Amino acid sequence: MLNYAFRRLLMLPVVMFALSLMIFGLQMSLTPTQRLAAYAPSPDFLKGGQDSIRRLIEQYGLNDPFYLQYGRWIGNILTGNLGWSETARQPVGTALTSLLPATLELVFIAFVPGLLLAIYLGSRAGIYLNRWQDHLIRFFTIFGWSFPVYVFGLLMLLIFYSVLDWFPPGRLSQWAQAVVTSRDFVRYTGANTIDSLLNGNLPVFFDSLRHLAAPVITLIYVNLANMTRVMRTSMLETLRQDYVRTARAKGLRRRVVELKHARRNALLPVVTIAGMELAYMMGGVVITETIFDYSGLGQFAAKSAANLDFPAILGFGLYFAVVLVVLNLVVDLIYPLLDPRVKTR
Amino acid sequence: MKRTLAVAISIALGFAVAPATAQTKNPGTFVFLWPDDIQSFDPAYIANTPSSYGVLNVYSRLLNYKGSEISEFVPAISTEVPSLENGLIKQAEDGSVSYTFPIRKDIHTHKVGIKGSDGKISWEYFDDLTAEQKSAIEPGYGEITPDDVRYSFLRAILMGQSWMSNAITEVVTAGKYTDITKWVETEGKIAEIGDATPELLRKVYDQLASQITVEGDKVVFKLPKAFPATLGVMALPFGTSIVDKEWVASVGGWDGSGDTWMKYYRPELGDDPLFDVENGTGPFMLEEWNRADRRITLKRFENYFMGPASLERVVMRTVPEWTTRRLQLLSGDADYVTAPIEFLDELAKTDGVKVVDGLPKVFGRGIFFGWPVDETDNPAIGSGKLDGKGIPPDFFADIDVRKGFNYAQNYDALLKQVLLGKTVQSRGPTVRGIMGYRPDSPVYSYDPKKAAEHFKKAFDGKLWETGFTMTAYVQEGTPQGTAALSALQQGLQRINPKFRLQIQSLPWASISDKLNNRAKPASALTYMGWGPDYSDPGGPLGAASYYLSPTGLVGGMVGQGYRDLMTEKFKPLLDEAWASSDPAVREPIYAKLQKMSYDYATTQFLWEDFGYIVTRSNVEGYVNNMILYGAWDFYPIKKNAE
Repeated sequence: MLNYAFRRLLMLPVVMFALSLMIFGLQMSLTPTQRLAAYAPSPDFLKGGQDSIRRLIEQYGLNDPFYLQYGRWIGNILTGNLGWSETARQPVGTALTSLLPATLELVFIAFVPGLLLAIYLGSRAGIYLNRWQDHLIRFFTIFGWSFPVYVFGLLMLLIFYSVLDWFPPGRLSQWAQAVVTSRDFVRYTGANTIDSLLNGNLPVFFDSLRHLAAPVITLIYVNLANMTRVMRTSMLETLRQDYVRTARAKGLRRRVVELKHARRNALLPVVTIAGMELAYMMGGVVITETIFDYSGLGQFAAKSAANLDFPAILGFGLYFAVVLVVLNLVVDLIYPLLDPRVKTR
Repeated sequence: MKRTLAVAISIALGFAVAPATAQTKNPGTFVFLWPDDIQSFDPAYIANTPSSYGVLNVYSRLLNYKGSEISEFVPAISTEVPSLENGLIKQAEDGSVSYTFPIRKDIHTHKVGIKGSDGKISWEYFDDLTAEQKSAIEPGYGEITPDDVRYSFLRAILMGQSWMSNAITEVVTAGKYTDITKWVETEGKIAEIGDATPELLRKVYDQLASQITVEGDKVVFKLPKAFPATLGVMALPFGTSIVDKEWVASVGGWDGSGDTWMKYYRPELGDDPLFDVENGTGPFMLEEWNRADRRITLKRFENYFMGPASLERVVMRTVPEWTTRRLQLLSGDADYVTAPIEFLDELAKTDGVKVVDGLPKVFGRGIFFGWPVDETDNPAIGSGKLDGKGIPPDFFADIDVRKGFNYAQNYDALLKQVLLGKTVQSRGPTVRGIMGYRPDSPVYSYDPKKAAEHFKKAFDGKLWETGFTMTAYVQEGTPQGTAALSALQQGLQRINPKFRLQIQSLPWASISDKLNNRAKPASALTYMGWGPDYSDPGGPLGAASYYLSPTGLVGGMVGQGYRDLMTEKFKPLLDEAWASSDPAVREPIYAKLQKMSYDYATTQFLWEDFGYIVTRSNVEGYVNNMILYGAWDFYPIKKNAE
């Protein structure tokens, strides 16, 4: 197993190299003046006139051949320098590491309960096929699936913030922000919930949860349908298997058969979907982050792309490649745990 | 039963909403939500309006604009506003002019240098010091002196980074050099500043330093000849904000030596030591800049030399989504939000929200003609011939074409229906408040007959017969620009159905690519807008020069044909006006230039841009200064109880 994991990890640099070459090649199809937009994002910056524009192009080496620009960038990467992001106004590496805790906090708080809920609802729907429980669960999840995220998110904001004032946007209230930025508050992880607990500050912890509630509910609900439906289908298929029938014939209790024998095997396709879902969410949930004014990787990536901020786009691309490869590996390693018949070679 | 339930829910919702709206949230803290971002806190680096919001509030300048006036000033770090009357502006017989600024005493920066027992200097917040600690402040470390003022200007000029800081170079050289790069390259007769020898760099430094001198408690600027916009440039936050020399050196910046300045020339943003820190003398201090969360917190400086501000804190957050900004304003979590224009009427009717509308700006919008354009594989000009399927590259060289286009635009409809009557038609490069603007100067109006007359004369009548097809460009996300081009498109179609104008929205990077850094522009018709950077219409960054000088901003973008026209007809008058410091002589010339821009139909001038602000109704004190492009000076802002 270790050997397998090691070999998969060795593939990582190859994937990253191919990806970087692809993105870099794409950006080189733009003219130097277009790529200058990363450094001069608004017309204001170009008021210095044509001389100034030519100097900026020269300064940033945008006229240099592809191999020189790529080589310069790769050279920097190898020394741990991902470049400077004009969008984030900080080095790309710093931007990614400072935004990652916020995205991880949001993603894990939404992903774990979302996954458990999907498994539960999918199993129930499969077990109670074509009965009212199945219809209700299917209606509930398809209803969420058919909602565009921005519509559901805005509804959440309107009801739970504008009307009820329960779940405000942002990551913290003004007063909590003042506490977190004070000298007495130690930043351990960058995740507000964890840091507030480690600092023993429950009011900040609850304020942080208040701000997380609406985006978490949104993420759970709009992503629920996919995994629930896969779980339901998988459960249906498993329940028709011979070994399930045998278990029932042996006189095992129905609950034991369904939950212990059938559900465990039905989880395999859900694990695959969940791995992809988690990877997607760790790449940032752009719309959710934007609507709820939650600064995370998704917003950063979207803004960088709009600004043609190539160092940031490349840096984010590499980060995402790592996430995909690692999560795929994790999924592969989980399979044998769920089904011993699946062996890693 | 249902009725009872409905009443119960209503009461419950009423209780839930009541606490959100009945009390002032975050008293003393002004929460400012906008979609923009600040580039840097270094006054010598910044070049755009959003970035000026930071520097404007944490640093001070020699002079400030007097409220919303754009040509009147009040003292700040200088105790007086120089004028001929008070003898602080002197004109010598050789034509040179000196401006003297007496420097105010006892101005401290936010952090001052305290000498420890080990002889080392530590920088401490002045507001936190005890009387005993104050007595240990190392002289000059955090106390603004005339030497700091001189240093600040030298640093901004020598850094050569921002086009706005380069305006000071133009002031001290009276327009001879546009920036320090040109100065060095011209002085040393070299192609690249990188080739300059240490001796040459020292020589240029000495030349510059000799023009900004300290005389006792005064700083004197010696200009080789008059530069009418001098005080206007001094009051802008770009480059002219005063920094403490000792502090800048302590954080790794230039030490003020004439031999080392090249090391600090045009730094990358992240390498600039003043990029994310400040130590100004302004009413607010930078408490936190969380770039991941895109949040800037400014804290009140209790020892501000004009007295502490009313607000304790200002929190500036970048919130790109309008609905989120809006809900935060309505709930009282935000005190100011940037709002789209189409929501103004609705917001003005909302309880607890205040809209101040129709604020003037020095910014003109127009459709810019370019000629000759790039004929190689250029979709903007179709076939590249006058055959109905395209236009020739020099299409707009014909004055009748330009006039025909200008008469084909429905300005009234745009002003009433698109701009909702909030502004006025633009009369040329100079807008209201700028010298040379006259409310009775001629403007084009929609006149299909006159348009047809001109189009029939164009290209000896061939244009009318063949018609044309061309593409005009507008930056995406500018609905007013798209509306202006649509109105022109319809106007042209009504005049002659063979006149086909296509409209394409592009990202700014693509528009810029069609106009900049090219031998010939790739766009013949582009919707844009530009505003001057000081109130004087002349000089390199004035309104008239921007539009009408062959070396101006617009001239650089719209082709050699346009530049030739400017050189032949406009430049002599621009030079004549700039050579004089007498407004009585200059005003008629700029008015004539304005009229000429109409006669030659240089551009389709559309409307003067306007500003507006949307705040909670308990916010007071905003001052709109149009030459600062409405930048928020938080010092006079008050947040009352709701």
